[in-house]
Amino acid sequence: MTDCEIYHGKPPLFKRIGGWFKNIPTRVKTFFVALGGKFKRIPLGFFARAKYIKTAPRPVKASMGLMGVGQLMQKQIVKGILFLLMFAAYVVYMALEGGGAMYDFFALGLVPPNPWLNIEGDNSVVMMLLGILAFIITGFFIAVHMANIRDAQRTFDYVKRGNPVPGFKHSLASMFDKYFYVTALVFPVVGVFVFNILPIIFMIFLAFTDYSGNIVLNGSLVSWIGFSNFKQLFSTGLIGATFLKILGWNLLWAVMSTLLNYFGGLAIALLLNKKIVKGKRIWRAFPVLAFAVPGFITLLAFKFMFSNLGPINYYIDLLGGKTRMFFGIDSKWSARIIGWLVNAWLSIPSSMLLATGILANLNADLYEAARIDGASPWTQFVKITLPFVVFATTPVLIGQFMGNFNNFGVFYFLRGGIICDGYYLASDTDLLINWLYSLSIDNKHYSLGAAISIIIFVIAAAISLFVYVKSPSYAKEDMYR
Amino acid sequence: MSTLSKADKLINKSIKRKRVGGRLTFKRFCEYFFTYLALMIIAAIFAFPVLWLVLASFSESGSMYTFKGFFPSSYSVVTFVKLFTDTQMYDYPRWFGNTLIIAVCSALLGGLLVILTAYVMSRFRFPARKGIMKITMVLGMFPSFMAMTAVYLLMTQFELINKLWGLVLIYASGAPMGYLTQKGFFDTIPNSMYEAARIDGASNFKVFIRITLPIAMPMIVYTLITSFTWPWSDFILPKLLLKNKDMYTVAVGLMSLGDTEFARFAAGSVFIAVPIIILYFCLVKYMVNGLTAGAVKE
Repeated sequence: MTDCEIYHGKPPLFKRIGGWFKNIPTRVKTFFVALGGKFKRIPLGFFARAKYIKTAPRPVKASMGLMGVGQLMQKQIVKGILFLLMFAAYVVYMALEGGGAMYDFFALGLVPPNPWLNIEGDNSVVMMLLGILAFIITGFFIAVHMANIRDAQRTFDYVKRGNPVPGFKHSLASMFDKYFYVTALVFPVVGVFVFNILPIIFMIFLAFTDYSGNIVLNGSLVSWIGFSNFKQLFSTGLIGATFLKILGWNLLWAVMSTLLNYFGGLAIALLLNKKIVKGKRIWRAFPVLAFAVPGFITLLAFKFMFSNLGPINYYIDLLGGKTRMFFGIDSKWSARIIGWLVNAWLSIPSSMLLATGILANLNADLYEAARIDGASPWTQFVKITLPFVVFATTPVLIGQFMGNFNNFGVFYFLRGGIICDGYYLASDTDLLINWLYSLSIDNKHYSLGAAISIIIFVIAAAISLFVYVKSPSYAKEDMYR
Repeated sequence: MSTLSKADKLINKSIKRKRVGGRLTFKRFCEYFFTYLALMIIAAIFAFPVLWLVLASFSESGSMYTFKGFFPSSYSVVTFVKLFTDTQMYDYPRWFGNTLIIAVCSALLGGLLVILTAYVMSRFRFPARKGIMKITMVLGMFPSFMAMTAVYLLMTQFELINKLWGLVLIYASGAPMGYLTQKGFFDTIPNSMYEAARIDGASNFKVFIRITLPIAMPMIVYTLITSFTWPWSDFILPKLLLKNKDMYTVAVGLMSLGDTEFARFAAGSVFIAVPIIILYFCLVKYMVNGLTAGAVKE
């Protein structure tokens, strides 16, 4: 009879857990069935491709063999020549640079440097970078090749239906009409590949090499060393201890500062939203002023303000207090608290503007109804305002959390260059991102830095996915529609 | 016992409250008092550091140690004059020019790329679309300057170290990664608008130029501001890629000033903050729209 029970809201916890376990066999079964289906389809797809290659019309076959020939055979001279030129460019690149770069990517250089004989030696890291670039260029080439085959087939079908051969002008026009999305996306995609994806792939590979310290300085050859860098981070040594301490502080920092900024901004927005406040635009101007000043100026100004001979210490001295070093080597908590406050000063204005925008969308009738029902202002806030604002801003909240988790500027400016006891090349206010910077840029431990950035990525991805899936804006998408 | 129902009672109560509205009760006085007190405190907190910098920029002596607390011991405009004439050690006009070139170029180029990407992702349905969206989401989770080392090496290979163009390239090509805000905006424009133009025989390119761009004006303004302010106040990339002193941007240059040059720092800061502040105040409406476009999911 248990199946007929009616719950108000969610079923009790043990029921849900029971259900979860009960469903395991079914879920495993569906997973494998789906997987099996996918595998079954692979040979089918393969056969379909093979059959297509065999039965394709002649111009298409020609295009498969050599880019652009199919187009030439169908009397699309300009297009065909353009494709041929692209092919030639790729072949020349591979012959001169790309092929060697791909080989070097695996070998990472053969000639070690020798200052005595004045041999410069191979630069393994540059080889790795150019090797990845060669692979990316090959990927682009394959994509162009596929497009060329598809284009030949399309022209063939078009002509077969009794149309005249489309000229070059026609093709050019379709670039701005039917295939406008391709034209528009070419530059963004190439840019992102070269300046975002290539460096990220490079850093991922770098995490598995020994490119750090002396090897960087001597320019010796780099070799693959597997997971050693990660092992170091999770070992019991100084590096492992530093990693755990910084990770803990980083999470605390991110959670606290996100809450502080978010609710601080919301509070100011609500305050400005009150009916009795006159001259809202003037009051709002002050946070906007803070919003507009570039962040590094504010941070440097605060650093000067709290510096050893700065104004804050001047007044402490004047009142007979003892001068403090706010960012000194053993002022852990004062530096941390000032960090939170300074970060709040920087970020509250933008979350205030955000909350103002959202509150303007909130239906005023809801409050009217709530007031008639006798709800107190606090109840109205908890039951109406908060759910709505949180619902609308969950994506932004995740973004803010990630921004705070990787907040490089605050402690770089306020307390840069300090190394504390019990930390490996880091201070007790450093976040992972500051440690990463100090390790790789200042101290040339590139591979360790790369390993840390992979861990930051894993944490970031896990947290954002978890929060997003749990958030109301994912679960009940049309609650407020 | 009165025979009034609960609803009637509440209505009476609310009418009574409205009548009281005109008079100043103690409770209302408290509400006024604390609201305005809080507002004043907030205003002071946000205005004070900015005011302090402005004051400091008018200080006669440059060093911080001559200050009496927050206030300089004597005032003059000599620092501003020095900022632009005494360029032997710190070539501020040069830095300012460099920053302006980088910021304007990358705002125009990056802004165009973002708008194009967002429009295409919102309007067109093509095979690679879902894939691209997923990839950008994953890429966004990598720490932003994890790739610094690689970018540095790459720029050495392309021989773009110490060149302003190198920075523009990096900023502009990184911009499309943040297309989601703009896509959120384009998603709200009804399809029928485009369809009408398509039926009239306009190509997709024409639709983009003639219809999309005019409608998206608020979003374009927002995009341009944000992609202008990022290079305008960024310090990590310029610090890494610009090695010569006369290639510095303002951020890197101001960072290289010590405690004894505090007034120069303040004056330089005021000078680059003022354009941005004016820009923000004129366009605050657009900023709010832009911020909310990324928030409310359609």
